[in-house]
Amino acid sequence: MTRYFIKRLLGGLFTIWITTIAVTLLIHLVPGDPVQIMYAQSQSTTPEQIEQIRRNLGLDRPIYEQYIMYMGRVLQGDFGTTIRGNQPVLDLLLVRLPNTLLLAVTSLIITMVVGVTAGFFAAYKRGTWIDTTLMTGAIVGISVPSFWLGLMLISIFSVRLGWFPVSGTNLNNLVLPALTLGLANAASVSRLTRSSMLDVLSQDYMRTARAKGLAETLVLSRHAFRNGMINVVNMLGLQFTYMMGGAIVVENVFAWNGIGRLAIQSIFQRDYPTIQGFILIFATVVVIVSIVLDLLYAWIDPRITYN
Amino acid sequence: MTQQITTPTPPVAPLPSKNREFRRFLQVLFRSPGAKIGGVILLVTTIVAIFAPAIAPFDPLEMGVGSTLQPPSAEHWFGTDDFGRDLFSRIVYGSRLTLRIGLVAVFISMTAGVLLGMVAGYAGGWVEAVLMRGVDVLFSFTETLIALAAVAVLGPSLTNATIAVGISSIPFYARVTYGAVLVEKNKEYFKAAQAVGAKHFRLIFRHILPNILSPIIVVATVGVSVAVLSASALSFLGLGAQPPSPEWGAILAAGRDYFRRAPWVTTFPGLAIAITVLGFNLLGDGLREALDPQQRRS
Amino acid sequence: MARLLDVQNLKTRFFTQNGVVHAVNDVSFHVNAQETVGIVGESGSGKSITMLSAMRLIPSPPGKIVGGEVMFQGRDLLKLSVREMRSLRGNRLSMIFQDPMTSLNPVLRVEKQMTEAIQLHLGMARSEAKARAVELLEQVGIPGARDRIRNYPHQFSGGMRQRVMIAMGLACNPDLLIADEPTTALDVTIHAQIVEIVKQLKEERGMAVIWITHDLSLLAGLADRILVMYAGQIVEQAPLHALYHHPRHPYTIGLLQSILRLDEQRQEHLKSIDGLPPSLVNYPQGCPFAPRCEFAIAKCHSEDPPLEPVGVNHQVACWVKPEGADILQASQSATA
Repeated sequence: MTRYFIKRLLGGLFTIWITTIAVTLLIHLVPGDPVQIMYAQSQSTTPEQIEQIRRNLGLDRPIYEQYIMYMGRVLQGDFGTTIRGNQPVLDLLLVRLPNTLLLAVTSLIITMVVGVTAGFFAAYKRGTWIDTTLMTGAIVGISVPSFWLGLMLISIFSVRLGWFPVSGTNLNNLVLPALTLGLANAASVSRLTRSSMLDVLSQDYMRTARAKGLAETLVLSRHAFRNGMINVVNMLGLQFTYMMGGAIVVENVFAWNGIGRLAIQSIFQRDYPTIQGFILIFATVVVIVSIVLDLLYAWIDPRITYN
Repeated sequence: MTQQITTPTPPVAPLPSKNREFRRFLQVLFRSPGAKIGGVILLVTTIVAIFAPAIAPFDPLEMGVGSTLQPPSAEHWFGTDDFGRDLFSRIVYGSRLTLRIGLVAVFISMTAGVLLGMVAGYAGGWVEAVLMRGVDVLFSFTETLIALAAVAVLGPSLTNATIAVGISSIPFYARVTYGAVLVEKNKEYFKAAQAVGAKHFRLIFRHILPNILSPIIVVATVGVSVAVLSASALSFLGLGAQPPSPEWGAILAAGRDYFRRAPWVTTFPGLAIAITVLGFNLLGDGLREALDPQQRRS
Repeated sequence: MARLLDVQNLKTRFFTQNGVVHAVNDVSFHVNAQETVGIVGESGSGKSITMLSAMRLIPSPPGKIVGGEVMFQGRDLLKLSVREMRSLRGNRLSMIFQDPMTSLNPVLRVEKQMTEAIQLHLGMARSEAKARAVELLEQVGIPGARDRIRNYPHQFSGGMRQRVMIAMGLACNPDLLIADEPTTALDVTIHAQIVEIVKQLKEERGMAVIWITHDLSLLAGLADRILVMYAGQIVEQAPLHALYHHPRHPYTIGLLQSILRLDEQRQEHLKSIDGLPPSLVNYPQGCPFAPRCEFAIAKCHSEDPPLEPVGVNHQVACWVKPEGADILQASQSATA
């Protein structure tokens, strides 16, 4: 177990390391002069000022030196400052990160509860109208754009019924964005769950369990569900990542003040230090969460041995 | 924005090659009601896109063809937007953009991904290790993040969004291809071809590619729907198509500002996206089932 | 002798997309108390489906028992309520399956998988049930059973897993054990061990055993009586000795010839029965074996022969009924 953990940890660190290289290169991939572009929209900047900024950002040095500089700063918790307003990027991100995590985790819970339940029933009632209805709903569900679903939910629950505020960032406002993100992904989770449950239900050990004379509920709850849950836990990591990605869009629909909203704003403003910081934070969160979930998976599946 | 594809490597048989087999394959495919509906949706969408000038009653960009924010009526089927443009005409023209975005993006990700996956799977050794490790890293970022990073670099525009969406799915296609190549590599025919001294290039393109084509086609069909969703999301966020483009996501984004007063401006483009995406998803599901050897046997 | 199990005119169909599969066609046989009956046939001959039907374990849909009765200890299993049937399964009649790798639940400890049936049918407390399970594992020859019972199935070898399956099947002292090709998935070197264990436990407990196999030679020291199945029908049934030495159905004769040839290790004479079993979707007219049969006459292709007695407890479904003893003699001298 320890060895497996260390291996996963090293893999995660590797991913983050690659990310730091990628974000350093990012700015150089920009066609044209990034500094010009960054300040193009802001107040007129003199060529002298541009040079000054270039020097401050270290963009006048060789790329490997830039990387070492950047890494040095990042390791000290300095992600640079925003182009406009000169605020520390890390502070901006860390203030908003809990909002994004709250949204992602709540949505993940909705996704798993709705998706797994629907998939389970569809598999168990395979070939019946229940199955057909659920799976028709699922394929329509994966086809609906989340941002549109969000707008439709707003128009029903906020505008028509007045149940929830249209936008903002507090618990009362969490319901609609979480529902949007959760339902959008529940559709695909229900499809995954259905096929994995169909697989489980057709396994020989299910027949063995029935041959023992166990009641159907026990056959399902003890023999099928546990095996099915292993597959479900196995997809949690990827689902969380999808939630984080989906949050970027949904935050913007509901003006939910998370890092996704900040990211879109900084792309508009060509605020590269913030974009870089965002990508790094995003990758770090995703890596940490997937390591934790992998360990959980390894813990509940007795077949996995660690060596 | 990104949408996961339900089965990473669908277990599918090689694509039927002969003419008769192909007809039989189509029969099996369109036996499922889903594939039928999907096929009809895509056929209609394609016809609308091709004959947009004939179908659309108004110029999609012309302002003031009606009064502003008019609800759907006999003259303006889907109503008008805040510039008095005819929404129906805009959505009809938008289908051209949507199909183009979807197909071009999938072409980019498929070409690059298949190439990467084949090279990694075929070469083995450190080439494989480096490439697939890189793909793993990219994969863990999600397509959304990759697309955003690409737009951040390239700058917002419809073309750039298309490229960004294309880039974002490369790791996915690379993985599917890589998995399929590994399977093929262990088959007898491949070992035989290798034994008689076939050249690398020939081995890859004559022997491996045709055999891994069918899982890739399934993935690519569903992939178009993913690309359309991603690109429309970028446009919705303002990072893709820019006004006054009749791109569906962009229409939706503009309609947001007054969607209490004029909900039709957001409702119809959203429906258009959902229906088109549904078409690709249904057809993709049908293809997967028709090509699934297990399904065929039973 | 008392009939423990009496199957009459059992018919099972599978309703699939490609048509109706006639899996079990009018099968009648019986098993006496404490008797060992072997059922032999190729894969797809309906031997497993017959017994799964008797246990009411065929997947439904698409499978359905469309006729017949299965009398067990005086009660028709097909007419029992689901609850009554469950109280018999794993209790009075139990079944062990072909592949011990897939037939055991990978995520449950052996202990749980064994004790659940014991607790259910014998009403034992957990600790009692566990003690019984350990005892059973020891009886089937699992060393260190007390510790091994805490293991998961993947921590056992294939042979050991099948022993666990057997222990599970015997957990509630069944009157009838149905063994569905329990050796097929295992290494050849282990076959004899598994056969020996079942034989010994059968002697000790006085239960009846139905042993399903495609390997006629396996039944030599094991079965009292043998049923030969082909295309969902019983084509011949006879006591062991009669079947081995005086087979009357061409299919049985063919099976025996292939064993003899293997015994002789004479490759040049190795000739299996030509052709394939018929599709059970388009069930053929006449005798289902006729297309592959070297003795077939015109009648065989038009009329399906009934099971007719040809000796004591010996029945065969064939219009020709060739004397197997002579044919086997001839092929033996040919190889000698």
